Amino acid sequence: MRAYLRVAGAVARKDLRTELRSREMLPALGQFVVLALLIANFGFDVGTGGSRIAPGVLWLTITFAGLLAFGRTFAAERDQASLEALLLTPASRAAIFAGKALAAAAVLAACEVVLVPALGVFFGTPVLSLPLAAALVMVTIGMAGLGCLFAAIAAQTRARDLLLPVLSLPLWVPFVVVGGRAVQVALGGGGELNGALALLLDFDILFVVVASLAAKFVLDD
Amino acid sequence: MRAIEAVGLRQRYGTRTVLGPLDLVLEEGERLAVLGENGSGKTTLLRLLATAARPAGGELRLLGLDASTERTELRGRIGYLGDVAGHYPALTALENLEFFCDLQGVERPRARATLELVGLAAAAHRPAAELSRGMAQRLGLARATLHAPQLLVLDEPDAGLDEEGREVLAAVVAGRTLVLATHDRELASRLCQKSLDLSRRGLEVYR
Repeated sequence: MRAYLRVAGAVARKDLRTELRSREMLPALGQFVVLALLIANFGFDVGTGGSRIAPGVLWLTITFAGLLAFGRTFAAERDQASLEALLLTPASRAAIFAGKALAAAAVLAACEVVLVPALGVFFGTPVLSLPLAAALVMVTIGMAGLGCLFAAIAAQTRARDLLLPVLSLPLWVPFVVVGGRAVQVALGGGGELNGALALLLDFDILFVVVASLAAKFVLDD
Repeated sequence: MRAIEAVGLRQRYGTRTVLGPLDLVLEEGERLAVLGENGSGKTTLLRLLATAARPAGGELRLLGLDASTERTELRGRIGYLGDVAGHYPALTALENLEFFCDLQGVERPRARATLELVGLAAAAHRPAAELSRGMAQRLGLARATLHAPQLLVLDEPDAGLDEEGREVLAAVVAGRTLVLATHDRELASRLCQKSLDLSRRGLEVYR
């Protein structure tokens, strides 16, 4: 277990340090989410019903931001030819995968820190909401698990930019549906919040466990 | 113990056979140079020996273990420098090695000591992206030897190295079990006890 945590921590630290120094993803993702909200603001007739369509806009933006964030996790390793060196160590594949998913989740969470206030500005939704934050954290964890698994598969192909959305989007649907419901409630709509959050937790456990088990086979040549 | 024991080792890409069938034995402590023209299968052979690829046929035992089924254990005992060094450009030389210390399960101070061994102590805090080709190659050598491997597999480690770098290479491989691919026959005869020419399929003993 100690070795697992050491490797996962080292991989996550390395990925985040690389991102903070190279600034490859974060500024672009920040711009992307603000532009997506700006387009949605002009595209929809917001009027007084901003908070009604805000959850849909939120999840659409997170879904596409996630594709961008997770797509780079293994593609960057492959581009700089470091993936082979990484995999030729005795480190556990599951730990390497966990570290990658953790770093990618942190990048997406940073993107959400820009997204939520921007959503408040464009759609008049509350910026500080504990239920909203809880729903976002749970969805981010589950999406990162699945997204990184498919990013690892896609990185081994030439058509990785196309393959990642084709593989990820269908399996992200449960998160979008239940997350959408949770956010709708958190933003003042009707319904039960606890049930939606409990379902998100179930999805997280299921998909993170399945992705971790599958990672061993995906990352083994 | 035998470091390498290959019987009928073959590799194929699609329908094209690119290596073998090859029989090869290397005792522990021996150093073998793999020679041959471009496309003769040097890199393919070294990738098999580093467990970076699975053979299409034949048997391969490394350090007494099966190279197909005991790969994880072998990977902690083999050091490999491929034809592309593959460092993390945004990390410094030291950070690159410390990261691999964590993955190999060795203490982090080993990173600085290994950098000194390859003559890169002064460049420890320079990002890998700013290292010259020869320095990046030395960093690759440091990464390959970081965990004191029992078998060292180096694919053209002399590429980009100046005279001082070649001295470093000689010092690093001294006393180790080594398989080295190179086009430089003089370097091969200097560093290794025997050579295998994949173009001619001949094993030559230097001394």
